[in-house]
Amino acid sequence: MPSEAIDPSAVQWQRVSPKYLRLRLLSWGIETVITLVVTGLPLVLRLTGIWPGYPAWLAWGLPIFFAVTLLWRGLLLPRQVRAIGYAERNEDLLLRRGIFFQRTLVVPYGRMQYVDVAVGPLERAFGLCTLKLHTAAPGTNAGIAGLPTDEGARLREHLSARGEAQLAGL
Amino acid sequence: MTAGAARVPGEDPGTAGTDPATGTEPEWKRVHPVSPLVRGWIALAALAYFVGRDQVESWFSGGGMDLPAGRALFWTVLALGIALVVIAGAFFLSWWFTRYQLTHDHIRVRSGVVVRRQRQARLDRVQAIDIVQPLLARIFGLAELRFEVADAGESAVRLAFLRLPDAQQLRARILNDASGADEKQSDGGSGAGDDATVPGEQQVLALSASRVIASVLLSGTTVFLMLAVAAVIVLTALTGEAASIAAMVPIIFGFGSAYWGLFSSGFNFRASVSREGIRIRSGLLDTRAQTVPPGRIQALAVRQPPLWRITGWYSISVNVAGYGAGSDGESSARTRLLPAGTSEEVLRMLALVVPDPGTEDPVGVFTAGMNGTGPAAGFTVSPRRARWLSPLSRRRNGYLVTETALLSRHGFLWRSLQVVPHSRTQSLALEQGPVARRLRLADLVLHSTPGPVSPRVVEIDADTARQLLHEQAQRARTARRRDLPEQWLRGTGPSLAKSAPAATNPAPAAPPPGSANPPPGSANPPPGSANPPPGSANPPPGSANPPPGSANPPPTPVKPPPVSKEEPPHEHR
Repeated sequence: MPSEAIDPSAVQWQRVSPKYLRLRLLSWGIETVITLVVTGLPLVLRLTGIWPGYPAWLAWGLPIFFAVTLLWRGLLLPRQVRAIGYAERNEDLLLRRGIFFQRTLVVPYGRMQYVDVAVGPLERAFGLCTLKLHTAAPGTNAGIAGLPTDEGARLREHLSARGEAQLAGL
Repeated sequence: MTAGAARVPGEDPGTAGTDPATGTEPEWKRVHPVSPLVRGWIALAALAYFVGRDQVESWFSGGGMDLPAGRALFWTVLALGIALVVIAGAFFLSWWFTRYQLTHDHIRVRSGVVVRRQRQARLDRVQAIDIVQPLLARIFGLAELRFEVADAGESAVRLAFLRLPDAQQLRARILNDASGADEKQSDGGSGAGDDATVPGEQQVLALSASRVIASVLLSGTTVFLMLAVAAVIVLTALTGEAASIAAMVPIIFGFGSAYWGLFSSGFNFRASVSREGIRIRSGLLDTRAQTVPPGRIQALAVRQPPLWRITGWYSISVNVAGYGAGSDGESSARTRLLPAGTSEEVLRMLALVVPDPGTEDPVGVFTAGMNGTGPAAGFTVSPRRARWLSPLSRRRNGYLVTETALLSRHGFLWRSLQVVPHSRTQSLALEQGPVARRLRLADLVLHSTPGPVSPRVVEIDADTARQLLHEQAQRARTARRRDLPEQWLRGTGPSLAKSAPAATNPAPAAPPPGSANPPPGSANPPPGSANPPPGSANPPPGSANPPPGSANPPPTPVKPPPVSKEEPPHEHR
C-alpha cells in the first residue's frame, strides 16, 4: 500500500480483508438497485401514461443524477477500501483512511476505554467483523471495518491487553 | 447500574439502615421532604391552571354565580381531591424511595418506586461538583448537588434537593475524600457559608453587572442580529413589501432569549480558588456554584468575538469530562470559565487552570496566542501558500508547543486560542482534504472529551504536521506517565493509603456495549476480581488504578469534617 503524504514514515500498514471489497460492492449494489427503483418509478409511470402530468426533466433528471453519483461512488469503492489501513505500534494504534479526504489517526493504548467488535448479517456471511476503539473522546471515532473474524478477535484481545497494561486516567 | 430492578416496593421502607450488609455501611439518608414539590411544582401549577381558568372565565362571563350545583359540584370536588391525593402520593412515594449514601469511596443514590434504580459513583472519579439552585429551591433554601462523572454528561449523579448548608457540607466531604487528603488536615477546605469568605478560599475575580450586560450586548449574538436585521431591510427594500417585516418578530424573540440566557447565566459571576479546585458561582434567578478540581480540565479555549475587540474582552470555556457537549444555554453556562474578562483577568484565570504553562514567558505566550499574529513568541504559523484557503487568518493560524501543553490559535474575526495539556490528549489525527493536499497543508486534530472546545491546529505545512503528530504522541505518552494521580491531594497528606487493592469494590462492571462479549479467559477479568475491567463502559468504576483506601475497616461511619456553623448561610444574591 502506497504511503501518502500525511502518513508517518516507515509504517507497515495492515490491510483489511479483500473480501471486504466484495461486501462493500454487494451493499453498494443493493443500495443502487433500491435507489434506482424508487427514483425511476415516476419515469416508468410517465412513460406508461399513468402519470402524464409529471415534469419530464424531473422524471429523467432524478434517476440520471442518482445513477451518476452512485456509479461514481462505486468506482471509488476499490480505492477507498485499499486506503484503509492500520498498524500496531508499541504504544499506539495507527489508523488511516480516505483518498480525497485523508485521515491518519493515532490512538494510544493507554487511552482506550473499551474495544467493541460488531458483526452484521452481511458481514457474518463474509466472515468479517468491525472493530471499534473507544476513548473518552467522541471524536476519536476509530473503527476498522472488514477484518476477518479471527483477526478481529485477535486484535481485540491484543488491544485490550495492551490497554489494560497502560491505562491512564482521563 | 440498576440494582434489583422491579423489586417489591413494600419490602424496602423501614430498612433504611439495615441494607445488604447490615451495620457495616453508613446510613442511607433521604433528601429534603419538600424536594418533590420543588421538582414537581409544574404539575400542580398545571392543575391549578386548568381548574382556575374555568372558574375565572365563568366569573367574568356569568357574573360569578354558576358554580356547578349539587351532584356536579360533588363530583368535581371529588375528582379534584383524587387528583391531588394521587399527585401527593406520587410525590411522597418518590421522595420516600429516594435515598443516598456516602461511603468512604462511593456515593450511591437509590430511586424509583416501581423500577428501582441504584446509581453509584466512585469518589476519585468525580470530575466536578455543582451546587445548583433553581429559583423555587432558592426560596426554600434548598440546593441540588450534582456529581459529574466522565460519561459525556448524560447521567450525573444528582441529589435533589438538600438544604444548602447540608449540600455544601456534603460537597466539602466528597471533595475531601475524593482528593485523598487526610481528614485531620482537612479543616481548611470544608466550607460552610457558600457565599462570602469561606476559609481556605480566595476570590480571584468578580464581574460587575455592567460588564456582563455590556459583554452580552457586544457578543457575537449581536453580530448575527445585525446581519439578520440588515437582511430583512434589504429584502423589504427589494420587494417593496412590508410583509417581510413580520419576519422580525421571531428573530427578535429568538435573540431576546439568547441575550437573556447569556445575561442570567453570567450575572454575578465570581471565581475563587480553594484547595479542592476552582470554584465558580454565577446566576441571576437560578444560581450555581461549580467546583472543578485541578487537572480535570481537558482542554480550554480563549475566545473573542469581533465586537469584543473594541473593549478588549475574552471568554474562556473549558472541556470537563462529564459536563458534556450540550448546546443549550445551561451546559454552555456550565462550561464557561469566564464570561467576559480583560486580558489581565484571562491571564489570572489561566494561571489557575494551567498552573504550569511550561514556558519561560507565559504572559508573552498567552498574549501572543490571544491577539498576536505571525511567528511572534514562537508560534509556528501556516505557510504563505495557505493564503488561498484563509487569506485573512493565515498569519493567526498556528501552534506552539510548551513543556506541558499544546497551544493552537486561529481565527481572524472570531479569534480563539486553544490549550490542551499534553497529559490530557486522548487521540490525535491528521486530516487533509483534496485542496489542502495540493497546497501541501494538513490539519492536526486533537480529540478531547465532549465539550465546547474541539482543539485543532489548522492548515500547517504537511511535513510539519506529520512531525508534530509524531512528537505530540510521544509527549502525550510521557506526560501521561508522570501525570497526577486520581486523588490529587494524596501525595501531600500522611497517607491513608492502604495497600490492599479493593476487596470491597463492588464494581458494577457494565459489560461493554456491543454484541460481542469477550469469550471467557479474555483480557477482561470477571467482575469482582481485584481490578475492575478497563473495558467497562463507564469510566468511573472502570479504572485500572486499584482504588486506594477502599479496604475500609468494616464499621466506617465516616465522620463529617468539622464545619463551622456560626452563621446561617445566606443565599446567593
